Amino acid sequence: MSITVETAKEHANDPAVSCCRFEAGTVIDVANLEDPAIFPDLEDSGLLEIGEDCLTIEQVLGAKLIKTIDALTPLKADMFDSVKAATVATEEVVEAPVVEAVQAPVATAVQQTVTAGNVLKIKIGEGKDIELEIPMTVQAGAAVATEQATVVAPLAQEAPVAAALSAVKSEEKVVRNLTKKHYKISEVKIGPETKIDGQVLYIREDICKDAVDSDDLVVDMKFEVITPDMYNKYSETFMDVQPIATKEEGELGHGVTRVLDDVIMVVTGTDEGGVQIGEFGSSEGIIDRNVMWGRPGAPDKGDIFVKTEVVIKAGTNMERPGPLAAHKVSDFITQEIRNALKAVTREADSVEELVQKRRKGNKKVVIVKEIMGQGAMHDNLILPVEPVGVLGGKPNVDLGNVPVMLAPTEVLDGGIHALTCIGPASKETSRHYWREPLVQMAMHDEEIDLCGVIFIGSPQVNSEKFYVSNRLGMIVEALDVDGAIITTEGFGNNHIDFASHHEQIGMRGIPVVGMTFSANQGALVVGNKYMTHMVDLNKSSQGIENEILSNNTLCKEDAMRALTMLKASMAGETVKAAERKWNPNVKLNNVDTIENELDTTLELTNNEQTLEKSKKRLAIYETEENVG
Amino acid sequence: MRELKYQSQQLYMEGIIVGIQDGAVTMDLKGRLGTLKVPRRMLVSDFELELGQEVGFMMGHPEVLDAAPCQQYIENMREKTKEDENCV
Repeated sequence: MSITVETAKEHANDPAVSCCRFEAGTVIDVANLEDPAIFPDLEDSGLLEIGEDCLTIEQVLGAKLIKTIDALTPLKADMFDSVKAATVATEEVVEAPVVEAVQAPVATAVQQTVTAGNVLKIKIGEGKDIELEIPMTVQAGAAVATEQATVVAPLAQEAPVAAALSAVKSEEKVVRNLTKKHYKISEVKIGPETKIDGQVLYIREDICKDAVDSDDLVVDMKFEVITPDMYNKYSETFMDVQPIATKEEGELGHGVTRVLDDVIMVVTGTDEGGVQIGEFGSSEGIIDRNVMWGRPGAPDKGDIFVKTEVVIKAGTNMERPGPLAAHKVSDFITQEIRNALKAVTREADSVEELVQKRRKGNKKVVIVKEIMGQGAMHDNLILPVEPVGVLGGKPNVDLGNVPVMLAPTEVLDGGIHALTCIGPASKETSRHYWREPLVQMAMHDEEIDLCGVIFIGSPQVNSEKFYVSNRLGMIVEALDVDGAIITTEGFGNNHIDFASHHEQIGMRGIPVVGMTFSANQGALVVGNKYMTHMVDLNKSSQGIENEILSNNTLCKEDAMRALTMLKASMAGETVKAAERKWNPNVKLNNVDTIENELDTTLELTNNEQTLEKSKKRLAIYETEENVG
Repeated sequence: MRELKYQSQQLYMEGIIVGIQDGAVTMDLKGRLGTLKVPRRMLVSDFELELGQEVGFMMGHPEVLDAAPCQQYIENMREKTKEDENCV
């Protein structure tokens, strides 16, 4: 495939390789050269080997061949009558003085997706629209490469951001306030009625019967109170982890919310045949080996679990009403606790104020959260009446998965009840949204103006994906934002819309940063030229879905990297190309540089290596030679 | 991710959609080579899903990783069938 004049300029210092066979006497023009973007793939497949004596594109343009050369031949000095001397203006040299002048580089963590993989496309320009598709290697067909790059932008890039941001005095305006009153619970007991007495929560002993009667699909239900000394017990797959909270005043997203601390709801369930709801392989097991404690969406160590086990009618575990019924009857218990919480008269143990401000004059930023919308177990209830409740919440599948705008405080007040229960390590539970680190950090960031959080579902079929993605593009265009961050949970076909969202926003000239679990197993299935700023949410040492609840979900450290990257990008910085293979050290290097430049400490979260290893994990995923 | 001895042996496979649920899609592999059931999220489609549609994908042979069965899974299977004492 020949290149354009623009590409030649961009790659002036890259190696010059012929794209076709050319006779002696040919004067080299851009049309005779191969696109440097595909060199790594050609090298991987053994079709191309570029030596040190290969000339640059800049050197060969206009030179006359004295030998006949074949396609994909690296061009060398002895093939030409004469070539220009190489200018010393390599990228590194150009950057060096900048770096020197401003001391050190600032880094942003980036992962770039490249969709080369299994087909080599060669386009012969002169032949007019001839396109050849030649399988390169069968092996490469497995997964399209997802690559990660260290972005070392000179500090000069960061400095103007800070300067620009601080130079413009932003005009702060409080949009809404949300007060969270925290009530500590130290013990959960079974009793004759559901009530809260001091720090003791009593749950009515016959509550399950009434809960079961509330939904026709549910045939049985029990609940269990798990205290920290029972963390070594076996548990069924966690479908969801939820805070127990209720509105004292106002609607969801503003006013006053009461929340119980140190106690959470955990939903589990099976059908009558004993098949787990959303059963796609196991993630049950001993709790303290399967939970990544302290993640936004996971239990914290020390939490008491009120864990339900719902039994639904046989054969309904894969249809939408089945899992929803399990959530509904679990919420029956939660609602009774909420009513008891409303009746509490004592002072709260602590009070948290969440203030949503608009900061006019700052760079305007929108967060786009892509949520699952393919069907059962790929659904969420948006904006229930009570925090993470069921009543009043609209399933995004029923809303057609179209983008829905939420205020940051609505997200943090339990505006999303997650029904997603596949992929424990990467799914976002209801508690995740309740404590969403990116929303919190962006809301409090005084250098930007967070205008809102858009939730967009991921439908099953590609045409629907592009339908909703186009709507997202129009909304973002109308919002007139300066930057966007797109996040998605899990991996699979949702990466198709994830890529499309980047395109829709990027094609409007708006800088966009993407956040997803990718690493090894979640390699992106598609990509486009707008996916240049990517933060990998992986925390597992091997880059896989390792069945440990919430292990690979969005944490504070990821939010920090994404925001830093977006700020640099909004200041017009470019991103260095990605590495060929996923390399976990890239993230660490970037974190180091961020810490150095911003003079801050970014505490990295632990991963599964801190948990006691289950025999399963040891045997299947982490043999001694694989770790480290 | 453990190293497989035969990981390069990927084959082009075809199948037929034989079951569509809200959460799952079931595919028979052509040639009576088995059945594959995946969450909807893991299936890529340009079209509305319908019974009888054909699918294509690359797939290798599953390879047994270790001679010894994993005790953890055996325990879990046993636990699944047990009634839990602390439930009310």
